[in-house]
This record gives sequence, C-alpha cells and structure tokens, in this order.
Amino acid sequence: MSFLNPFFFIGSIVLAVPVLIHLVRRERSEIIPFSSLMFLLKVPKRSIRQQKLKNLLLMALRILILALLVGAFARPYVTQSATPIIATGQNRGVVLMLDDSYSMRYGNNFDRMKTEAASRIDALGTGDQMALVAFNDNANVLNAPTSDKAKLKAALTTLEPSYGGTRYYEAFSVADRLLSQMTGVDKQLIMISDFQRVGWNRSSRENVIGKDVKTEMVNLGVEKSTNLGIDSVSANPTTFTRTYTDRVIARVHNYNKDQAATVPVSLSINDKEVLRRSITVSANSTALAEFTGFDLNLGLSKGRVRLETATDPLPVDNDFLFSIDRREKLNILIVDSGRARQSFFLRQAFTSAPELPYEVSVVAGSSLTPDELAKHAVVVFNDVPRLSNAVTARMDELRKGSQGQLVILAENADLDWWANYAKLPVKPTRRIFVQKDRGQTSVAISSFDRNHGIFKPFETTAKFTINTAQFFAFVQTEARPNAVVLAKFEDGSPALVESGAQDRGLIVFNSMVDKLSWNDLPLKPSFVPLFHEIVRYLSRYSETRGWYALGEGVPVVGSTENAAAAVIKPDGERLALGELGPGQQRFFTPDAPGFYETRVGKESHLIAVNPPASEGNLEAMPPDDLVASVKRIDGDTQQGDGLFGSDAADDYVRRQRAWWYLLFIALLAVIGEIYLANRSQRTQHVEARKA
Amino acid sequence: MSTIPVADKPQNRFIDPKVLMRIQNLELVARTVVEGFVQGLHKSPYLGFSVDFAEYRQYMPGDDIRRIDWKVYGRSDKLFIKLYEGETNTRVLVLLDVSGSMNYGSGEIKKIDYAKMMAACLSYFAYHQRDGVGLLTFDKEVRAHIPASRRSGQLFNILREIDTSEPTKETEFRKPLRYLAEVLNRLGLIIVISDFYDDPANIAAGLKALKSKGNDIMAFHIMDNFELTFPFEDMAQFEDLETKRKLHIIPEYLRSQYLNILNEHMKKLKQELVSAQIDYTLMDTSQPLDAGLFAYLAARANSL
Repeated sequence: MSFLNPFFFIGSIVLAVPVLIHLVRRERSEIIPFSSLMFLLKVPKRSIRQQKLKNLLLMALRILILALLVGAFARPYVTQSATPIIATGQNRGVVLMLDDSYSMRYGNNFDRMKTEAASRIDALGTGDQMALVAFNDNANVLNAPTSDKAKLKAALTTLEPSYGGTRYYEAFSVADRLLSQMTGVDKQLIMISDFQRVGWNRSSRENVIGKDVKTEMVNLGVEKSTNLGIDSVSANPTTFTRTYTDRVIARVHNYNKDQAATVPVSLSINDKEVLRRSITVSANSTALAEFTGFDLNLGLSKGRVRLETATDPLPVDNDFLFSIDRREKLNILIVDSGRARQSFFLRQAFTSAPELPYEVSVVAGSSLTPDELAKHAVVVFNDVPRLSNAVTARMDELRKGSQGQLVILAENADLDWWANYAKLPVKPTRRIFVQKDRGQTSVAISSFDRNHGIFKPFETTAKFTINTAQFFAFVQTEARPNAVVLAKFEDGSPALVESGAQDRGLIVFNSMVDKLSWNDLPLKPSFVPLFHEIVRYLSRYSETRGWYALGEGVPVVGSTENAAAAVIKPDGERLALGELGPGQQRFFTPDAPGFYETRVGKESHLIAVNPPASEGNLEAMPPDDLVASVKRIDGDTQQGDGLFGSDAADDYVRRQRAWWYLLFIALLAVIGEIYLANRSQRTQHVEARKA
Repeated sequence: MSTIPVADKPQNRFIDPKVLMRIQNLELVARTVVEGFVQGLHKSPYLGFSVDFAEYRQYMPGDDIRRIDWKVYGRSDKLFIKLYEGETNTRVLVLLDVSGSMNYGSGEIKKIDYAKMMAACLSYFAYHQRDGVGLLTFDKEVRAHIPASRRSGQLFNILREIDTSEPTKETEFRKPLRYLAEVLNRLGLIIVISDFYDDPANIAAGLKALKSKGNDIMAFHIMDNFELTFPFEDMAQFEDLETKRKLHIIPEYLRSQYLNILNEHMKKLKQELVSAQIDYTLMDTSQPLDAGLFAYLAARANSL
C-alpha cells in the first residue's frame, strides 16, 4: 500500500484536536464545592456510563471521520509487486525503456543499466517481442518490437549516454504507442532508470499507460549523491575594455546532503587558465565563486569555469562554458555649430571615465565632410543650424547601413531648414520659451515609452527619474507620420522622437543639452545614462547571450545583406542553415554541450552550450509513484485512436479506487455522528424540561 | 442604633437574610429579627401565653417563704404562693448541625450562616419569652452542649457558641441523638436545625426516641436553592464539602436523577417525622428567617 499524496498525512494532526479538546476540557473543568455528593452518588451508574459511552462514541466517530478524510485525500493505492515479471503461458510483448539522460553518467550507472537491459533481453522466451526505447528529455525508439535478441543486443550496444535531461511522460507516451502495436500478447513495460525526481512533472499528469500493462521498475537511483556541479555562470557577455572589470560569478552546487565540500574552481579563457579560487560548499547547498580582473583579446573569447575535482562521480556538470565578446569602443562623432564650450556636457557624458566604451570626436557642422561622417558608428548633430546637401545625402545612405544619428534641435538650429529635411521624423514649428509662451516656470518630460529599447534598461531602477528635469525652453515639433514619439513634454509636445520602421536609426531630441537656460537636464543624474542608452540603441548594438542550455533553440540572425548561414558544431561538423536575409532569424538546437560557431556571411558568433543543470540533482522518487501517476484508471479517457483498445477494468483501477470507499465510509460516519449528536441533545432537552 | 434596611419588596415585611448577613453581631441580628417580628404580632392570637402571672398555689412546707403573697394572707389568713410565668414556660433546646455540608452556599449566604441566624433568633426569642434556652451543636459527634437554662448570661453563652462554631466534619444523627436521649431528662421543646444529610430512618429513629420521652420536636430542614434546583450546566468536578471527595459530573445529564433522589429523600424524611408527630419545615436559605419563627410560635402554642 502506498499513497499518491502522502503529504496529506500532515493533515492527520487534526485527529488530535477532538482528543485535545476532550483533555483540555477535562483538565480545566471547574471544581465546584458542593454540600454533599450523597445524592449524586446515588444516581444510577448505568446512566453515567451510558452518557460517557455515548460521548466516547461521538468522539471516536469524529476522529474516524477526520482520519477517513485524511486517508482519502492521501489517495491510497495498492502497490504492485517489485519482483521481476514472471513469464506466463501467453507470449509477452515487452517495451524496455532505457534512461540515457546525462544523470546516468553518474558513476557506473550507465553500464549497470546496460547490464540490466541485456539480462531482460536474455530472459525473452520464444515468441516474446521486445522494443527498446531510449529516453532523456526526448524519447527515441531504438528498436521496434522484435523477437530477434541479437538485433536487440546490437541496438543496446550502440546506446550512449546523452547530455539531455529527463522527462518521463514523453517516454511513456512512446512506450504506450509501441505496446498498442502488440496484440494478443501479455503487455509488459520495463523501465531502467535512476528515477530522478526532476523528470517528473506532476502538473502535466497524464495517464498514458494502459490498465492491462504490467510494469517493472528497475531502480538504479542514487541514494546518497556526492555530486558537485556548476548550476550557472553569470557574466556580462560584452565588454569594451582589455581587462574584464565586471564579475564572472559561478554558482557551485553541492548535492551531497551530509557533507560539505571544498573544491578548487578555475576560470579559463580560450583554454588557458587565468584564475583559480577555492570555495567551500555546505552540504546540500550552493556557493559562489567570483572572478574578475583578467585580460581579454578583441572579439569573442571562450570562457570555461571548471570544478577541479577528480573524484566527482558525475563530471559532466563540473564544466560550465560561456562566451565573452570584447568589442572596440563605440565611435561617436559630435557635430555642433563650432561655438566655444558647446557640446561640453555631451562630451563629458561619453568620456568622463576611461572604462566607458566610447570614443568621441567633435567637429563643426560647417567643416563636416561626407567621408568624415562615414567613419563613425553614431553621429550626434548637436544644435547644428543646417547641413550641406552632400552631407544629408550621405546621412540617409549611412543610416541604411548601421549608423545611428541623433539630431538635437535647439537655439542655433535653422528650424525652417530642418523642417524641410523630409527624413526628419518631426517637423519643427517654433521655439517655445515656457515662461513667456506658457506662463509657467518650466515644463517636464511627463511621459515616456517604458518598453522602448532606450528606456527598458531603467525598468528595474528607481534612480532614473527623467521627469525631475526642468525645461525652460524647447522646440515645438509635429511628429511626422510613422514617427514614434518616445517621450513627451507635459503639454503633449514631442521631446524625443524616433523615425519610423522604414528609416530606423534617426532620433530627434527637441531641446538643448548645452545651456542651463534651456533646461537643467545635464545636471540631473538621468542625463548620462539616458544619452548612453540613446547612443547604444542607435549603434544597433545587440548583446548576445553568454550561454545557452542544451535543448534551447539558438537564434541565428541574418546580417545586413543576404548571406549563407551555418553552424560549426563542437566536433567540427558543419550544419548549413541556408541563406538568411537581413534581420531574418533561424534557430538550431544544439545536441551536445560545447562551443558552437555560427557563421552568417563574414560575421561569426560564438555560442556556449551547457547541459541542463537540473540533471545534477539525483534525488530519486519512488518508482511506484511514477507508475501510479501514469497508469490509467477507471474513467480516464484514451489518449487517442490506436493507443489502446477498450480494455475492461483491471486490478490497478481497483487499487486506486480505495479513496472513494474511504469517502463513502466517512459519509456514513458523518450520518451516524449527526444522528447520535441529535439524539443526545434531544435527550438532554427532555431531561432539562422534566427537571 | 442605625436603621436596619429591609427588603425591597413592599409585601415582604421580613428582613432579607442577605441584609442580616451584613450585621456582624449575632445578638443584634436576633434582636432585630425578633423585635421586628414581635411588633408585627401585636394582634396575633399567640400573644395570650406570654403573661407575667400564672396562678396561686397553697403554701407547702419547704416552699420559699419569700414567695408567699402576704396581701392574700392579709385578706384570707391563708398562705398562698404566687406562681410566675417562669414556672409555666418550657425549656427550649436548639440542636444546630455544624457538619461540613452546612458550609455550602450558592450565593452570599451559606447554610451555616442561615442556620446560625435562625438558631440565634429562636434562642433570643425563646429567652425573652422566659423559656429556658439551651444549645447543642453537632456533626457526627456532639461538638458543644449548653443545657437549657434561664439564668443570666445564658443567652450570651449560647450566642457566643453559635457564633464560634465552624462546620467541618460529616453529618450523623445517631450518636448525638443517643447522647441527648441519655442526658435530657426534663421535657421541653427541641428545635433541630440541619440539612439532614443522613439516612431519614436514622434521623427519625433518634428523634422518635426523644419524642417518646414527651419532648416536642421541630425540624428545620435548611437547604440552599442550588441544592433544591441543581441549576449547574457545564461539566465540572463536584467536591463533597464533608468528605472532600471529587466527582466528574455533567450536571445537565444528571439533574433529573439528582432531583428525583433528593425529592425522594425529603419526602421520606417528612413522612417519617410527621408520622412521629414531629414538625417539619423546609427552609430555603433565600427565604426570610421569620417563617421559622412562625413555625416556632405555632409549635409553642400547641405545647401549652
């Protein structure tokens, strides 16, 4: 006998409640001095005893009701015998399910599984059929039902442990399909696994195994896991400096429930160890290993954090891979009207600290040449009166590439000229001096698009408060069709506008960033991060993820022009993904951990892939619970045509039906309790009336 | 003397026992009750027996010559002795039960307090009726015995004894009554104040023995209202005040049986006593004491 929801037995604590009440009432019953018990002692004892018995019976009934309810909700079922299936007179149709998830790499588990499987194949009688299913988080039929033992053994020999996780339901579904193909046989299901609890998703409970299928669970579960593994590594995947100043943090998990472990942890960059730490991880706990201050070459580097232990029984999760991209600093050109101290605040915003990933150069608009323009990733036109036609033509051309442009319209800008520049997402109308034109001291930026790429990074911080800046003057503009207003002044006039989808990469800011008589934005803490994010956004800068988990789809994004895409696997195999257009995405799913290289035209990226960390947790579940959760009971509908025939009720159904009986008995007990309680109360009333 | 408050109800001219409880001096209690009672009785048919002079009797040798009525001798030349009321009055003995069960009281008044006040009032009343008054306190034994007398200080002694008696032990009538039958040789009125927690047969047997000697006997059965109605609700441990024994009881289940047994006991007691021509009066401690005095007067009248 076992239980599907044994945690409901916590509810059995309530059984003590009636008894406790009884004891507490008894303990606390008042002592009443009375003249003499002479007459009370003459009351027939039978009457007292009857009353006591009635009360005891009531209490017992109430306890019984609670016990039955607790028992019913714990869902009892009669477990099957764990003894191997004994061949009956009828031929057997066996599906042998083999767990090849990477947790089976623990110690010699995989070899043990193969040995067990081989013995089951050997035990097949003449006329018996067997199918082999290997499963991890996917299930594959290794061998369709056959009586050929040699064939089965050959298939078993080819089986290697995978890097996949564990999911039981998919495996049971495949097994069920195979079993349904076997007719006129005694259906049997044998599963050899370490029965990791993480593979059982209780919420996706589906009864996929037929009632007529006999099951045998071969448990290779690890009782006391001594595994150490790295759950994850967090690192900033992009850096602009030679020395990595952020932190690489590895989270090391000790699955041993009894003993702490001290283990050296090393960090390698491009297969060269750069740092090493020693950390102690408490029993059944995690600890962090931090690394920083190592040097990186330009471009993508292969990072690896490794637990330097030779005794770990599951070494797969001792390595964790990630990639870091060291990029050149972002080249920004500030074009202004050439006045003294103009662009001071902007320059400071981008160059105030040496680690900032920006290279800034300033040029006067009058001396700007189209060729100069092309040398920079982002160009800021800071309150430039007007531009030459050659420059604007080049601007439009460069925007189609990857250049981003920010136009700041303020005091010096020739609004008529800019209004005639058709590509500008706004049409400037006039300058507004707030005190004179609006009759108030200042206006603020009252709303902004929090979901836009510029403002998204500030989503989780309360420090970014752009609306505290006071604007005393601004340029009133009208947004052109398709333009996207990213921020507005409180009178509704656009403050920050982005060009539409057809001509991305051009943003207009409608106030000055040089003079405090226009606004005090440059003095606000939001100024620097805001312009960093604007520039970062305009540079089409995209961060790649440092690593992916095995099983996740990895996107490969097309370049600026059509190009052939391919993936180079860790073992050197090339996987062609066909031709990708600009912005087009295609996914590939890695099948083993390691570094993958994606190539789109001339561009290449490095993708680190790690096996699922959850597999490191070898905590096992009772196989009977698993069987109980997947076996069909009375009333369950079939999964679909061809999975099962219309089978009659079988033992298993009856084994799970116990809770209905318990509920029924509880109902009877409730009726009895009500009857007894009422009778007792009625008797008291009658006696009270008589008295 | 300060004014004694009386009970609120206009028709109730008697003093509420709860009010009397506030008077610490037992003699003052007795006087308050009795004087108030007597003032209310000035037209009562019972007044006749309380006269100073009774009759003359011819002088016999041995009589005290101081008691010769010389005026009669002057008129008739015959020696006559004047008989005063003292000689015609009876002797009253109050039997006060001071067993543990008398220590019970559901409200402000315990049965023993009520019984003491009653004993004091009857003693005071009888003493001022020129009756000889005595007291016997008992539980299972005789605790104190002051033989009936009319000598000065008798009332004081009795009241002091009543006042100092504390209930402790169990009730048993057999032994005290046997003692009384042995020591009591003069006829008189015996007033028994008790809750009669004993076998009615034992009580009746002892009292009958006294009755057969020619004594008039009055039995005042003192009961608390809670004893008579048993109004308890919640389960509790009841502790016997005499034996200290405890019993777990759910009163609502046992009430009817208890009341049946109690009523049976009282009925049997009354039957036994009435059959022996003993006056039986049930006194609820919530009732005024005057009811007891009425009963006494009625019995006293009968005895004359």
